[in-house]
Amino acid sequence: MSVFAKTAYFWRSAASGLRHAPFIHFVAVTTIAIAIFSAGLAQATGRMVEALIGSLGGEVQVTVYLSPELDEEGAAVLRERMVALSGGRANLVPPRAALERLATELGDLGEALAQLPENPLPPSLELEVPQERRTPGALKALAQQLRAMPGVTGVDYGEEAVERLSAISKALRYGGWVAFAVVLLATVVIVSATLQLAIYARRGEIEIQKLVGATDRFVKAPFLIEGFLQGLLGAGVALAGLLAFERLAGPGLASLFSFLVGPGGMVPLLEPRIALELLAAGCGLGLGGSFIAVGRFLRV
Amino acid sequence: MIQMFHVYKAYPGDPPVLSDINLHVQKGEFVFLTGPSGAGKTTLMKLIFCGEKATKGQILVGGRNIARIRESAIPYLRRNIGVVFQDFKLLPHRTVEDNVAFALDVLGVPRAVARERVQRMLKLVGLQHKASSMPLKLSGGEQQRVVIARALVNDPTILLADEPTGNLDPALTLEIMDLLMDVNARGTTVMVATHDHSLITRYQKRTLRLENGFIVSDEDGVKAARRMAAG
Repeated sequence: MSVFAKTAYFWRSAASGLRHAPFIHFVAVTTIAIAIFSAGLAQATGRMVEALIGSLGGEVQVTVYLSPELDEEGAAVLRERMVALSGGRANLVPPRAALERLATELGDLGEALAQLPENPLPPSLELEVPQERRTPGALKALAQQLRAMPGVTGVDYGEEAVERLSAISKALRYGGWVAFAVVLLATVVIVSATLQLAIYARRGEIEIQKLVGATDRFVKAPFLIEGFLQGLLGAGVALAGLLAFERLAGPGLASLFSFLVGPGGMVPLLEPRIALELLAAGCGLGLGGSFIAVGRFLRV
Repeated sequence: MIQMFHVYKAYPGDPPVLSDINLHVQKGEFVFLTGPSGAGKTTLMKLIFCGEKATKGQILVGGRNIARIRESAIPYLRRNIGVVFQDFKLLPHRTVEDNVAFALDVLGVPRAVARERVQRMLKLVGLQHKASSMPLKLSGGEQQRVVIARALVNDPTILLADEPTGNLDPALTLEIMDLLMDVNARGTTVMVATHDHSLITRYQKRTLRLENGFIVSDEDGVKAARRMAAG
């Protein structure tokens, strides 16, 4: 008995199965290709949204309001502590500078500020936090620590905007996963159904195999290989489709979204690692579908 | 080689197909199994190659109790039993050579070795010149000879033939029967189910007669042939 001879037989038999029921396999390969193509697009969109959120996160600024009683030396000490705590940079804005800035922002209305008997604005520190601390959770924790410092009267970092952005990102991510799971399930069901048809078409051959002493594993192996090959072909077609899509639609999309992500900010649709992941996902889909088909239908 | 002790086979809601079957077939023996349609001939053969499970009783094949055999062990049992059917069960899209080699693929026999064994087997059944033909281009007798070659290519110790000549004309019937006799002469235990009395008369081999699921007679060849001739 030769393992090599058996393996060669399995591959020959799988290839023959693909040749003898081309339409059935075409349906399965097309389904896998559509699923992998959609997954590839969804993946790229997800990465694009992440990049967008990252760039918007750069706008986040933490403003720390200080007590008006705090003198310059006290403010400088606080500034040092905040820089050490946040790991970023801090800029002290004295009340007068804050009032001037407000007057500039208000334009003509700003003249009214000159009528005020005294400057109502407190001194403040504008804190620029590093990229890794710009998540909603990290910002919230930092704000709590800052509020607890003596001499601090308030902290503002656009909490609502950050949390909304984060919620949108989360919703997109979970929505993407749910959509992917639905497509995955539908694909496995279709692939499994097509393979059941292929198995049915070859029931005579299976009967004879059983009569001459084939084990269940021997009967099932070519069908599992067929599923794997379907997955490989489907993923290959999807990758070719994604490459074509990037070539044809990429420049147009880049100019369309440049106002959001900036020039050159578009993420590439296919990177080698992602291409490999999609290829593996295709093979997994084919193998999974065939596994279910042989398990349910090939009770031999 | 084949022993049955008080074997019953019944399907739920139906009367038993086989009842209290007791049987002992020696190694190298040739046995006819006869009886009217529905007597249980095919079921009895299926019990031997585990195509069906006995409802009750013990069955020994080559000394192994197959009434209690595990599902996973059945393929290995079948590799020692060749099976021939009336409806041939050939793969129409494969050549004669590939059909015979099919039984060796299952065993993982390398292609070169398999080809040699297939050629030897096709020579034995007189079809070496048809190796590359498709089954549907062969006559009924030739197709049946391909099936016999496939059944024998693994060198089984038992050959079961269920109405192997049922679809053949008298000349081809004798051709196939002579071939089965040759196989038996080489030491293979052969069991042939048939309702063709002329074969029993002609070949004079031990004959078991089944009726309504019971073995009603078990006679040696001469006695059975005499009884058949007397009508």
